[in-house]
Amino acid sequence: MIIGGKSFVSSPPAFSNDAKKLLVSTGNTVSVYSTSTGLLMAELEGHKALVTSVVVVSASTPASKILCYCWTSSLDGTICYWDFSLPELMKKVDIRLPIVSMVIPNLLGPPVGENGKPVDLFAYISVEHVTKRDDEAKAFPGQIRKCNLTKSRLLGGVILAETQQPEAIIISPSKEFFGILNKRKLILWKVPDKDSENDVVKKIILHHTKSFTVLAFHPTQRIIAAGDVTGRILIWRGFGKRTFSRSVGSLSERTVESEEERPGVRGDDDAESCSTWHWHPAEVMVLSFSFDGAYLYSGGKEGVLVVWQLDTGKKKYLPRIGSPLLFFTASPDPSLLSISCADNAIHLLKMPSMEILNSIAGIKLPCSFPDTYQGLYGGVVFNQTAGLVAIRTEDYRIQFYSLFDDREVSQVRICERNHQPDDDITLVVTLLALSVDGSKMGTVEVKLPEEGIGGLVCLKFWASGSRSGDFTLSTVIYEPHSDAGISALAFHPTRHMAVSSSYRGDFKIWICNDDLQQKDQVLQKSGWRCHSVGSYKKKPMTAAAFSADGSVLAVAAGTVVTLWDPDRNILVAVIGETFMPIVSLSFVGNSEYLVSISRGSEPQLSVWSMSKLSVSWSYKLHVEAVACMTDASSFAVLALLPKSSKRLASDENRQSRKDGVILLFNVESPIPLSTWSVNKAKAGGLAFLQVNPSLLDRKISDEKAPQALLAYINSDHEYVVFDPYNGEDHKIRKNRLENLVPQDETGHFGYTSIYGELQEFDIRRDQTTEVPYAPSEKLWETIFSGSSHILPPLTKLCSTFLESLLEKRPAIQE
Amino acid sequence: MADGQLGKTFPVKSRLKPTPKKPSSSPESKYWRSFKTQQIQGLVSAVTFIDFSPDPPHDFAATFSASVTLYNSQTLEPKFKITSFTDVAYSATFRSDGKLLAAGGESGIVQVFDAKAKSDLHRKLRGHTRPVRVVRYPRFDKLHLFSGGDDTLVKYWDVASQTELLSLQGHKDYVRSGFASPASSDMFATGSYDHTVRVWDIRVSSLNSVMEINHGKPVEDVVFLPSGGLLATAGGNSVKIWDVIAGGKLVHSIESHNKTVTSLCVGKVGRDGGEESEKNRLFSVSLDGYLKVFDYSALKITHSMRYPAPLLSVAFSPDCSVRAIGTSNGTLFVGKRKKEQTESDAPGADKLVGFGSMEEPENRVLKPTNFRYFRRGQSEKPSEGDYLVKRPQKVKLAEHDKLLRKFRHKEALVSALNGKNPQNTVAVMEELVARKKLLKCVSNLDMEELGLLLGFLLRYVTMPRYSGFLMSLTKKVLELRVEDFRASELLKDHVRKLKRSVEEEIKIQQSLQEIQGIVSPLLMIAGRR
Repeated sequence: MIIGGKSFVSSPPAFSNDAKKLLVSTGNTVSVYSTSTGLLMAELEGHKALVTSVVVVSASTPASKILCYCWTSSLDGTICYWDFSLPELMKKVDIRLPIVSMVIPNLLGPPVGENGKPVDLFAYISVEHVTKRDDEAKAFPGQIRKCNLTKSRLLGGVILAETQQPEAIIISPSKEFFGILNKRKLILWKVPDKDSENDVVKKIILHHTKSFTVLAFHPTQRIIAAGDVTGRILIWRGFGKRTFSRSVGSLSERTVESEEERPGVRGDDDAESCSTWHWHPAEVMVLSFSFDGAYLYSGGKEGVLVVWQLDTGKKKYLPRIGSPLLFFTASPDPSLLSISCADNAIHLLKMPSMEILNSIAGIKLPCSFPDTYQGLYGGVVFNQTAGLVAIRTEDYRIQFYSLFDDREVSQVRICERNHQPDDDITLVVTLLALSVDGSKMGTVEVKLPEEGIGGLVCLKFWASGSRSGDFTLSTVIYEPHSDAGISALAFHPTRHMAVSSSYRGDFKIWICNDDLQQKDQVLQKSGWRCHSVGSYKKKPMTAAAFSADGSVLAVAAGTVVTLWDPDRNILVAVIGETFMPIVSLSFVGNSEYLVSISRGSEPQLSVWSMSKLSVSWSYKLHVEAVACMTDASSFAVLALLPKSSKRLASDENRQSRKDGVILLFNVESPIPLSTWSVNKAKAGGLAFLQVNPSLLDRKISDEKAPQALLAYINSDHEYVVFDPYNGEDHKIRKNRLENLVPQDETGHFGYTSIYGELQEFDIRRDQTTEVPYAPSEKLWETIFSGSSHILPPLTKLCSTFLESLLEKRPAIQE
Repeated sequence: MADGQLGKTFPVKSRLKPTPKKPSSSPESKYWRSFKTQQIQGLVSAVTFIDFSPDPPHDFAATFSASVTLYNSQTLEPKFKITSFTDVAYSATFRSDGKLLAAGGESGIVQVFDAKAKSDLHRKLRGHTRPVRVVRYPRFDKLHLFSGGDDTLVKYWDVASQTELLSLQGHKDYVRSGFASPASSDMFATGSYDHTVRVWDIRVSSLNSVMEINHGKPVEDVVFLPSGGLLATAGGNSVKIWDVIAGGKLVHSIESHNKTVTSLCVGKVGRDGGEESEKNRLFSVSLDGYLKVFDYSALKITHSMRYPAPLLSVAFSPDCSVRAIGTSNGTLFVGKRKKEQTESDAPGADKLVGFGSMEEPENRVLKPTNFRYFRRGQSEKPSEGDYLVKRPQKVKLAEHDKLLRKFRHKEALVSALNGKNPQNTVAVMEELVARKKLLKCVSNLDMEELGLLLGFLLRYVTMPRYSGFLMSLTKKVLELRVEDFRASELLKDHVRKLKRSVEEEIKIQQSLQEIQGIVSPLLMIAGRR
């Protein structure tokens, strides 16, 4: 069983000390990626729930940069200590409270205390306190607690703050302060110098009129920046001078006199000044200072990274990222940064030039489209032979994602447009179809009209390049069915033929003249052309499918299914009918059965026999997706559980929010062979994948390879691949591509990256080397010195002077 | 991969045009189209014959009405006109050195003129009793000429003594065409309306033709191909090529014209390289108005061109840089090939060599005081083994693209409307639709810009490519700005014109529907069979 498609951007990633690895929390695991290649190097498996924060043990000396230790916290209530180079679990601390966020201030602290005993390591964690009974409604379930990691226990009684929601804790780069955002307040604490269990942690609160969204600490000075929901950035300078300074007595006088000269500071807040910057049109989601504190990075929903010069407020931009920014992580290497985007991608930026060096891209998240185009198609299409899934993304691309490798293969840009996350959607990629061998792709995009002007339907055919998932545009067809929308697109299983059906009531068969070779023409253009047009009683055509051998074309005309000869364009038979319009058709392998789905108020799953031209059996089921095996007579459907049955469903199901069920059928009998219940089934996808023996463990391929693997992808684009015929859980492992990733990279940064390693030179040797030495006879310097009356007459001097100017070979003393 | 992640600036693009199935222009038809055609209009009547002087600068003589006019082939200005004909003149041809010009005429007299100047040198060869349609000089012989007339006779003349040497009988109808053999001065072919082409040899004293070829239709023109072994004849709708050496065997028949082929000539494709024989082309013009270019080595039509009138005569200058075509309504179409720069430079260079004192330009060592020092080696071509570091290609942005990037939508629309290309304008409008800003832009236009927009709509609203988009836009514009239209007289005028063009278009559509109504039952019946 392969599980994948996890979100990479649920929490901020962390760089290793040498900036060569990036630790990304992916669901229940932490994945270690190489920053130079962007490939997966290792995975830390041990948590049972979502990993919420990763803290790398930072290096105090250059020698310890190779150390690879990290702490991770998870919603399962544990904190783990890892050596991520191996990878190996070193220690596990059980808190028994879901941890939302964790910071560890004293990672650098002295390993040995004053009295010779090792000092305990403390962590500040944000937990959700849910242990109370249900009837006692808790107003503030979010708590900030302190935890002794060395002794593996939570400090009782120390609750720093209580909030309505568990908040993320942000720590300053100097590890002196940490803080949380709580609605319109910033709560900041100073980490005690000598951290012990009993120390009182001092805190200050800063206020604002809008809700805060993000907080950042200056690396060296007492400056913090915070963003709010309206897009403003507030910068407080000299915060906490009063509270956090040591001498309490002298403080009160100073505050009184400085009361007047605190511009922008609200009320009694403890800060010297507060200034506001406003550029972002929507809420600020990313805020971070540069390593030297000269710049402030900010980003938000509009997908632009803004670099502010802190002293002047001048701005620089990295525009057109195309997706809202979520997190910003600086690395120990000042020229490398990472930004996490909402489209499940982490971009590694090279800094002064702000170029994208590399991208670690997860599976794209489902995107929202206008309602009229939502129901047409789930948005996922499988390439069964290569084990790829094609997903449309928000920025008009198609992402090809390898289900077996759990990584992105490629992205194909469908339209030459930039996507701006804020804008209204005016262009939708509504349909996507792949041929069985994955060599051809068809896409349909719809340009939405502005008050009835300028709507456009555009059908595009793509041809695959040398690599799988690499497509080039072959043909563009504007308004293939004049202005009517296209309901389905399907490719012929063997030949260069495709069919598109429209709601206006006709379907067109397209052929590619790729294989027609005219000998006398030098320039042969390949492209798709309309071969024939068909319609049935002007009924809207809602679905289309070719049979496995391609001899029959089934097109759903409303509630009936019409069968055609695709070559000669002759109507062969009409079978029907169903209660509601059919939305999907598929032939079951090479058997004589056809599966149709209709939705609406009378949903129906029907299996039609081609030999009898009638219904073989049918269910009243709301089916989301159908997957048919290519060479067997079974098929699987993903059905939504009806609302009525949900009430009856077992408690277990309700708790895990399982709302769908996968049913495996044989076409001959209406009794399912097996069932699995799944969650988030709405808009999910289902497909049989062909088994590639090289992907399996050797042991299994020796024994008995599974017939086919079933892949299920849910509405959040998390997927699972399993063997539907064998109850036992095969250990089908992802191929890690370990041989592809150089484990030990020799990268340089800083001085060495530009000039190479400094040459070692020995100072002593330089001193001992002998240099030939001769006293210089610079006569012209001395010849005229002295008073003029002492000097000999000029006539005598002249000859000696000129002689001295002539170059003499110095007589080297041997 | 990394560079594909970030968005780029995409210039607005118009919709793609469908590409024709066949490549639209072969390099050869591109070549023939590169001739810049000029018209000489207002000639009195049909231009029956054109001949180029074999002597550079290759002036040409056009025969029409009762005169022969010499034109300068470079400037296309008439040099002088020979009007000493009592009736219609025919077939004015140059002698092989270009010094003399001979012409026949309706009166039956063959006249010889000086081709260089309008002088008195003038010979009259009397012998034909009917109009003389063909007069030709043999290829190298400067003393004789032959003529053919409507009296079915072909006569061979000694020009200097104005005497008739031979009178060749054999044709049974009007002799309308003739051509001297390029291989021998003693041989020539004549074509007649009795469907035959006869090849004559004056060394044979029997006064009979050496060879007789039956074309099958009245022969309008006959041409020896440059090798002298092949003969092309035109008659009826067809052009036929015969092998003379093999005894008059038919090689190929071209039936690509729809009406009578009136004239033939041979020209060359001026491309470099290739064998001489591969560059020769046979041109045929016809009453259907088409000029066809036939590659007789590959036996296929390589180019075809349409003219707006029935064509009667065609000729190519010997250096193949000028093409002249005469029509039946008295127009000359003269096409000139643009001279390449190198050719025009060549004579100048020749002159300079004569002085002999020209020094080779020295290859000076560049010093840092020279600006070129800093640019040296920039235009160096990469050698084969070099690794090329490609500079990222710069996206060319038009003015409207730049404005769109700055979100100055109205300015972008106005800039696109000011541009010449309607495709760009429509593309900008579509981009504005994608940004949902088009109607806002329309409502913000001031009077002058509104006039511009209306002018654009007026021109292109009925064009099928844009009509789907522009019609709905026009409707919206009229709705949005109706107040402004009432206020301005100029805009009112625009709207009136718009209304008229829409009415016209409706009429066209109705008549098209009528035609469809007529055709579709026929198609149905045809489909059933």
